[in-house]
Amino acid sequence: MRRFLLGRLASSLVTLLLVATFVFVIVNVLPGNPGRQLLGPLAPESEVVKLNDKLGVNRPLVEQYGSSMKDLVTFDFGTSFRSGKSVVATVRPALFRSVKLASLALIITIPLGIWAGVFAARRQDKFADRAVVMAGLTTSSIPDFVTAVVLSSLFCVTWKFGHVFATPPDGSSISKQFSYLIFPALAMVVLYFGYIARMTRAGVINALQSDYVRTATMKGLSDRRVMVNHVLRNALAPTITVISTQIGYLLGAIIGVERVFNYQGIGLTITDAVKAKDIPMLQGTVVLVALVYVAAALLADLLIAYLNPRVRLGGGG
Amino acid sequence: MNFRLFDGLRRDASAVEVDHIEAFAQGRIGRRDFLTRGTVLGLSVPFMSAVIAACGSSDSGSTSPVTTIGGPATTGGPATTGAPAAGTVKPGGVLKVANQKPSGPVDPVAMDNLGAYTVASIPLEYLCGPGDGAALAPMLAESWKPNTDGSVWTFSLRKGVKWHDGTPFTSADVVATLDRLADAGLKASIAKGASKAVDATTVEVTLLAADGNFPYQVSNWNPQSLITPVAFVAGTTIDAMPTGTGPFKLTKYDAATGATFARNDDWWGGKPNLDGVELIFSDSPETQIQGLLGDAVHAMVQFPVIGGEAVFAQADKYVVEGIRGASHRQIWMNSREGNFADKRTRQAIALGLDREAIIKNVLRGKGDLGNDHPIAPVYDFWDKSQPQRTRDVEKAKQLLKDTGKEGLALTMNVVDLQEISKTAELIKSQLAEIGMNVTLNVESTDTVYSKWCAVYDSKTEPAGCDGGEEFGIVDYGNRATPDVYLTKAYATGEWNSAHFINADFNTAVDAYKAGLDTSSRATAIKKIQEIATEEVPYAIPYFVNSLTAYSNKVTGIKQTGLGHYYLGTAGFVA
Repeated sequence: MRRFLLGRLASSLVTLLLVATFVFVIVNVLPGNPGRQLLGPLAPESEVVKLNDKLGVNRPLVEQYGSSMKDLVTFDFGTSFRSGKSVVATVRPALFRSVKLASLALIITIPLGIWAGVFAARRQDKFADRAVVMAGLTTSSIPDFVTAVVLSSLFCVTWKFGHVFATPPDGSSISKQFSYLIFPALAMVVLYFGYIARMTRAGVINALQSDYVRTATMKGLSDRRVMVNHVLRNALAPTITVISTQIGYLLGAIIGVERVFNYQGIGLTITDAVKAKDIPMLQGTVVLVALVYVAAALLADLLIAYLNPRVRLGGGG
Repeated sequence: MNFRLFDGLRRDASAVEVDHIEAFAQGRIGRRDFLTRGTVLGLSVPFMSAVIAACGSSDSGSTSPVTTIGGPATTGGPATTGAPAAGTVKPGGVLKVANQKPSGPVDPVAMDNLGAYTVASIPLEYLCGPGDGAALAPMLAESWKPNTDGSVWTFSLRKGVKWHDGTPFTSADVVATLDRLADAGLKASIAKGASKAVDATTVEVTLLAADGNFPYQVSNWNPQSLITPVAFVAGTTIDAMPTGTGPFKLTKYDAATGATFARNDDWWGGKPNLDGVELIFSDSPETQIQGLLGDAVHAMVQFPVIGGEAVFAQADKYVVEGIRGASHRQIWMNSREGNFADKRTRQAIALGLDREAIIKNVLRGKGDLGNDHPIAPVYDFWDKSQPQRTRDVEKAKQLLKDTGKEGLALTMNVVDLQEISKTAELIKSQLAEIGMNVTLNVESTDTVYSKWCAVYDSKTEPAGCDGGEEFGIVDYGNRATPDVYLTKAYATGEWNSAHFINADFNTAVDAYKAGLDTSSRATAIKKIQEIATEEVPYAIPYFVNSLTAYSNKVTGIKQTGLGHYYLGTAGFVA
């Protein structure tokens, strides 16, 4: 297990390093002048040069790359060109907001999707199975921002059931925060429910047809024990992998939902950084999202290894 | 005419004031212009009423152009649709307002966008505030007066005003502010050290050249002229040093999400009705409109007509104010070099525009025709005798042929703000009909301004901001006078993205600025209009109304069309 863990950690660090290098290359390829960006179009050139020297963007690229890697380790991404504030200070609340929203979406989606997948698998090829499959296919083919617009227009604007702007006031109770976040979360639930349900269904159908499940059933174990201890334990590996990739997506790529509900999470922060060519902010947010992706993937690997001894012991099959 | 009263009033007036009074008495200017211009010269409302009465008018008191910022709210000015709030104002409540996200740090001296103007002008104030229309009203200055030729102005400051930390506001703060602005937004008007504190509440400002409109330069119409304390250093953002003299104190600023303000009980205008104000930032007009319709906010500072139909349709719930003003869009063309060096190419662009179609389809009629100069029809001195340029596709094609620019392919840089990207799409299709192939490069307010105008370098040319792209469309906010447009976009070059240098034009601008009466300014303006339309450094297809909307449960909001949202007397209806 230790070898497995070390191996996964090492590959995660390599992935992060590659992402950071890729971001560094991209932002240095993009045209732009940080000093000009900060001081505005009408500032004297001498002042711009002075500021660029101070920021260190006039140094050789290799030297800048070294600093960039050091920043990655120390989590210091400098100052945002747009706000003039520390990148970390700006990203932290945005990340916190994204985590809250993604958590709520996952808390609803995971049990719902797994339950629907198991429900459908146990009724394979019957009406209920086809209904779940069709519903999953339909909802996962609707872009999240379309669902968000519909939810916002119907529930928040027309019927006044929810909040058009999803950012709760400072100091709001858990229940109040829930009332603000539920509709953007539902927009994500609608999209991801189908993925999880279909993946779970396929895994469960596969497991139900396996020899070990047949053996467990013939041993006289109850349906529930067979399902929990034998079917789900083996069937959930691909579902967990899907969920882990969705965690990163939910944190950093739900720009449409965040825009509709005016929710300043990581997705909107990245968009703002791109629009403003705010390079430090772009570097900080992209690396952060990559870190979340990598952490989620690592967690998923560990969970799968825990559920399936063959994985952690390096066995085949 | 009551000659006895008239002579008495004249006797106590300065030479500039006498010129103005006589222009009215002799019928050279109307009553509205007399009142509006009088506020700029610092004449009091009772004095102007007495002059009007002496000249034989019977309803002098009903036409005051001055809307006080403190005290009871007044109405008038903007065209309003919807049902204005009725009933008494109940104290309390927090007003939530959707506002464009500032595109950079909110530094009162260097800010350059409407989102920042809104944030900064809630806690901070100007010497002169907005009256009705183009008139000025006392704000931190109670009164002001020019010398004979308008080269020295004396401001008497309001007494008893305190900064939000309790320290007294004095003339030293004004002098320090004007010295900072002498290196920034007022460098065309004053030099450092030109302002002197005569006493604790009097400031004397000596200008580089006579300027009969100088009070506008220290009013909301020059947004960067907000008065800041002596200790303020240029480059400081308002959240780094939260202070002000205004009705609300900044309590929290988050560049990503918004700002909150708490009531200032010691405000000179009286205790505000509202407990506080919350600005909620959003770059998306659609999101802001959804917010208003869904009760997430009570008001939105500005919004475009397209997309805002639902707000207009619910006149029983929302008040929409449209300020018909001078807010416009400039299609800049580099007149110094490149494709537009020959003015015939620029004229071809202007002739290719179907202005009526843009106003009808993009503005839904809420705008005025532009004639390729920045003098809006709302200005009293606008020369309406000038022929309106209309679309002439054949002539435009011929001009392109004559200059060897047939099939000209160009990139148009477009600011992604309000209706402008939609205007650009229409212009692209209109210019295709004269044989031009325009590619649109739409960018956010964060980055596009470096395409519009970059690095003013006085060593390379007397006017012009080097480094900008040759072609694009940019926004200009509403102003009570065209001074900013004329001096910055055309004459002195700070925003001269067209690199337009024209001695006759500059002479006319100088004459306009020095003019202390309407007739002399009208003569100069006529010349300005003629030259701008003929040379077309900027095609100006329309002037757009500035729209604001708010719930009819709210009353007392005053806007300027330039991002300012005055809420000192605003409140919720009981």
